[in-house]
Amino acid sequence: MQHKHSHPSVCFYFQVHQPYRLRDLRFGDVGAEGTEYFDEVKNRDIFRKVAEKCYLPANKLILDLVQQYPDFQVSYSLSGVFLRQCQEYGPDVLESFKALAQTGKVEFLAETYFHSLSSLKSLSEFVEQVSTQVELIENIFGVRPRVFRNTELIYSNELAHIARLMGFSGMLAEGADHLLEGRNPNDPFIPPQFTLPNDVQKIVRKFRPYAKAPRNISVLLKNYKLSDDVAFRFSDRSWIGYPLTAERFTDWLMQSGGTSVNLFMDYETFGEHQWADTGIFDFLRSLPKIWQERGIRAITPSEVIRTHHRRFKHVYDAHTHVSWADSERDLSAWQENHIQRSALDALFALEEKVKATRDPELLDIWRKLQTSDHFYYMCTKYWSDGDVHKYFSPYDSPYEAYRRFSHAVCDLRERVARYPSHK
Amino acid sequence: MFGWEYPPLHLGGLGVACQGLVQGLLKTGVQVTLVLPHPHTQSQEHDVISPKEHTTHTVRVQSMLGPYMNHDQYFRTISAVSKEMQQVYGHDLPEAVMHFTETSVDLTKDVEADVVHCHDWMTYGAGARAAKHHNKPLVAHIHATELDRTNFSPNQWIYDQERMGFEAADRVIAVSQYTKNILVEHYGIAAEKIHVVHNGSSEDHLPHNRVTSITRTKKQEPMVLFLGRLTLQKGPIQFLEMAKHVHQHRAEVQFVVAGEGNMLGEMIHKTKELALEKNVTFLGKVTSKEARKLYRTADCFVMPSLSEPFGLVALEAISHGTPVVISKQSGVSEVVGHGFKVDFWDTAKMADCVLTILRETPLAQQLRSEAPRSLAYLRWEHQAGHVRSVYQDLLKPR
Repeated sequence: MQHKHSHPSVCFYFQVHQPYRLRDLRFGDVGAEGTEYFDEVKNRDIFRKVAEKCYLPANKLILDLVQQYPDFQVSYSLSGVFLRQCQEYGPDVLESFKALAQTGKVEFLAETYFHSLSSLKSLSEFVEQVSTQVELIENIFGVRPRVFRNTELIYSNELAHIARLMGFSGMLAEGADHLLEGRNPNDPFIPPQFTLPNDVQKIVRKFRPYAKAPRNISVLLKNYKLSDDVAFRFSDRSWIGYPLTAERFTDWLMQSGGTSVNLFMDYETFGEHQWADTGIFDFLRSLPKIWQERGIRAITPSEVIRTHHRRFKHVYDAHTHVSWADSERDLSAWQENHIQRSALDALFALEEKVKATRDPELLDIWRKLQTSDHFYYMCTKYWSDGDVHKYFSPYDSPYEAYRRFSHAVCDLRERVARYPSHK
Repeated sequence: MFGWEYPPLHLGGLGVACQGLVQGLLKTGVQVTLVLPHPHTQSQEHDVISPKEHTTHTVRVQSMLGPYMNHDQYFRTISAVSKEMQQVYGHDLPEAVMHFTETSVDLTKDVEADVVHCHDWMTYGAGARAAKHHNKPLVAHIHATELDRTNFSPNQWIYDQERMGFEAADRVIAVSQYTKNILVEHYGIAAEKIHVVHNGSSEDHLPHNRVTSITRTKKQEPMVLFLGRLTLQKGPIQFLEMAKHVHQHRAEVQFVVAGEGNMLGEMIHKTKELALEKNVTFLGKVTSKEARKLYRTADCFVMPSLSEPFGLVALEAISHGTPVVISKQSGVSEVVGHGFKVDFWDTAKMADCVLTILRETPLAQQLRSEAPRSLAYLRWEHQAGHVRSVYQDLLKPR
């Protein structure tokens, strides 16, 4: 046992995901033979662009660092649709993740295969997608994930208990101010104790990835201030912390108290959101050295739970959903306006019929349409002020996103209706 | 302030915009003397055609000039009056403009103004002369350039008049960033002296309580509306091409074309050629009351302009709760968030947006409720405030 740390350890989790963006579908494609929904060319182009700017250089750097520094570990959540795009467009990227896995110092988390919003609409679909993802990770990397993170850190008390019942020992969540009520997100948390209704338990047990559930589940909360200093503010010249040095950032980490500073962010932070010329890679490279000098360990979520979560735990009470999106930290990035809600409803209205066909292709299309990004692109939250919001979307506008999506759903509806066994 | 047209005597957006601006300026405490060309034939009944604002002083200048006129159109107008009157008004467009310029400068020589503000090329000469006479700063407001009207094949003389105005002006006010870019790229005007002030909408922006759900279900066929002058600039042919694409998928959809213009014959011909006689209705010029009714009945409003400095009709449609599909080559697309924006030449995509709006009720509902709300900040009073601050900046002692 090492000496008691007077300062927190660090836990890095990087989200890695790419959606299947839609083609410029037209009214006439609905009902036509073999309509292709997804934009193969654009998806490949974006994948390759991000691979060159982020995945490949960042993986190389992380590999160097975990090999060089004994106390430096990280974790990733790779969506199933990302891993599939690796197989289609980037075997080199997949190999570089495998190399990371072989070091034994990288943890892979569980999530829904399709980076979907299924947790909001269909419990059985949700649990099934998590199980598919757990199998996939084991097949590729040889380790079964033990910690769960839901799409965009969507979290609630009920979801935490569902994750527990699925067999996970930990779940990640946003450290939202209104739920922390002044407490430190770096501390260990648990959800409030309660028993899930029987019908819910039954569904979870039927589709879950693990046969046994632990008695409790730990919740690791994102320290959004320190995470966003890196992910959003790193290159912001108007920010008081600019330029952010590894030394100063380490000072802030040490001062922030608690047991584990959970730095959760999109992996694209490195090289894509923050370009290489901002110095983001140099910043990342210099962290482990400073941390080693100051006795700060960077550990995986499972290690955080093993080391810190034996002692007193706070209750994180999320009656309603929280997420890591936007300043609202709720579901409004995907489910605020009328078109977003009706798009998701229309998709899930097809669930029973799609499943009844037992056609793997139709099921796969239906599930690819559940990816949260489709709904994010339809967000109009900052649209009303007339100031054209710089929007991370492959489409012109939220309405263009809806136009394409609605054509896809209409066509899928017709294909399902035409399906022979369904008559 | 030198203008060309003013409601109720107006043909297009310029008059509406002038009125909105004048009313907005009055509310911000600016006094306005309005100088307008005025045809002789109607000069006895001014009351009907004068602006109604009491605090505005109006100067009417006898002239046969009409807004949006080109050389040919002026020639047709002037040919209808007697030889003697032609002497007074000018035989051709340049002469008529010169006549208007001289008369209006003369009629306003005793007006004490702080700023001279003129709208579009016909008044630039008058504005420049008046500003020089009074030794006051000149603001040239540009609502539409000759390039917009002619699909970038300008009449050189009009183009020169415009450029002279921009160059003479101390400040240029463009109705959109789109127009500002044209001035910078095609007229070589310094970007620093051009201020963008988007037009406001004269309608109130609260979502209208359309009795939609009830009346709509009773109505047999969906209706798509075009409202504007039937000229090259407004893209009426593109509207018909869009209609053809829609028709291929939904034969019951009706298309209404409201407005008059020199392309009416060509439009009718094209309608026949596309075999759309049963689906396209030409209404000719409509009153503002009729227009309001059309907006309310339409399921979708399409503005396919080839080059539209602003496009007030789109705001009017929105304020009546009509979902819009508008040309990307327009200024109004800079302020409309809740609507579809398509390149004017991509009529297949334009049609697809229309078809999606007609099929997807949640989409139509959201556009109906959100688009008007988002325009609330585009009140004329607010936009006139921007114009006022341009004046104040010019009047600062240097």
